[in-house]
Amino acid sequence: MHHLVLEEWSRKNSWIHARDPRAKLVAALALVVAIGTCPGAPALRFGGYALLLGAAAASAGLPLAGTLWRACVILPFAAVFGAMAWVAGHPERAVAVLLKSFLSAWVMVLLTGTTSPPVLLRAMESFRVPRFLLLVTHILYRYLFVISEQAQHMRFAAASRGGAGRRLRRGGWQAAAGAVGTLFARSHARAEAVHRAMLARGFRGDFVLLSPLRFGAADGLFAAWAVATATALRIL
Amino acid sequence: MHIPDGFLSVPVWAGLAAVSVPLVGVAARRAQREVQESSVPLLGVMGAFVFGAQMINFPLAPGTSGHLFGAALLACTLGPAAAAVVMTAILTVQAVVFQDGGVLALGANVFNMALAGAAAGYLPYWAWGRGSRPALAVAVGGFLSVIVSASLALAELRLSGLPMPGAVLPLAWGLFALNALAEALITFVVVESVDRLHPGWIRRMQTPRPAVTKWFLAASLVLAVVGVAVASAAPDGLERLAENLGIAHRARVLWETPLADYEARFLSGSWVRRAAAALAGIGITAAVLMATAKLLQRRRSV
Repeated sequence: MHHLVLEEWSRKNSWIHARDPRAKLVAALALVVAIGTCPGAPALRFGGYALLLGAAAASAGLPLAGTLWRACVILPFAAVFGAMAWVAGHPERAVAVLLKSFLSAWVMVLLTGTTSPPVLLRAMESFRVPRFLLLVTHILYRYLFVISEQAQHMRFAAASRGGAGRRLRRGGWQAAAGAVGTLFARSHARAEAVHRAMLARGFRGDFVLLSPLRFGAADGLFAAWAVATATALRIL
Repeated sequence: MHIPDGFLSVPVWAGLAAVSVPLVGVAARRAQREVQESSVPLLGVMGAFVFGAQMINFPLAPGTSGHLFGAALLACTLGPAAAAVVMTAILTVQAVVFQDGGVLALGANVFNMALAGAAAGYLPYWAWGRGSRPALAVAVGGFLSVIVSASLALAELRLSGLPMPGAVLPLAWGLFALNALAEALITFVVVESVDRLHPGWIRRMQTPRPAVTKWFLAASLVLAVVGVAVASAAPDGLERLAENLGIAHRARVLWETPLADYEARFLSGSWVRRAAAALAGIGITAAVLMATAKLLQRRRSV
């Protein structure tokens, strides 16, 4: 499934993987801002960004085609609104928004491909994001795949009973509503169990990382280099 | 309607981020107070539930199916503040992990779906939830949450200067309305099903709202929906009307703050000024973020 690929990538070993998540977050934000504030989409500059990102993927040991493919998630939305701009008589604008959204998505793929989401959430805490929100997001990510798998099981079960599918039929709605209701009930029960388990382990309102974050000289260098390169490409 | 990066202009995304950040902070504080101390796992797992529920298809028409959007259901089970927090967490995970929606556009997406979406989803339930069929009120909330989120996203795209052919707008709005209708139907059957399993999960409204409030609310809701429909169906007509009344001129004057207007005025200017405007936007966002964090910390320690 989805998370397997992501976690597989973020558990690789490379110089970029070893950098502090805060440095990588700053680098990614600098790139996204530089790309996003660019007027139009000058071919040379965007080629430079693409080269930079390709080099980052290669040095992190991530499959180039794989990261590009994952960034294509944004294409349905981008293509629809790009097509609108094209029809309205601004083809250059359409190409610009398509390229911008694709490159920004690629930056985020590389960020999550080299940093696992829980560590990334921990890094956001250093940037003063409310802890309550981060804790909720943390639990959400932890149980996302558990609950999704449960939903998948229910779909398989319904299909094996001959009830599911896209065909319009009487009772299909009731079955789907029942499935969502059951999923709600199970999630509620799971939340209670999770809470009890957390209390039993001495949860005091904070998650503890097994290895604390350390921001070294290499991390500072990496962040500074990324910000400088992004800015230089933006100005040139 | 997850807006990716690259579509919104700097004033739009920076401005909406500056609005969303303190509001999410307030919602987080309220949610922490409202739901008991077991709230962290409950809200997190409920966010995961929304992801799971979106995998269950409801047959809509031959060949197409829809799924739950969830803002109204969350608002009537967890409360509006907690629903906003859960939706924000969902959008954050979607943006960072699944590239569904941009990172710079996250503030705008949070504003559209988590804040305005949850509020619109809760409003009818707040007013009519004490009636004999609360599920009906939640279903109306589902309709409103989708239509509000989608209309806001479309408005932000237009405000960012994304060119759109005029004929597309009524079509887009018709699609939103169909989507919203589907969400209303799905929300209705799901709320009935959840209520059957455990009557305590759908919150019961304690105090009845005065009839005047209800009528006022109903009238303003109808006016707002009709207004958006007319505005999207005939944007040129509306503009002409505004021009005649002199509103457009006044609105333009209001809009002409140095930051908001930078695209138009600095378009021919040097990159330094554009970059400065962008940096100022980010700076303001960061300042608001820091101030909110400070405020929250001070309150918590008291």
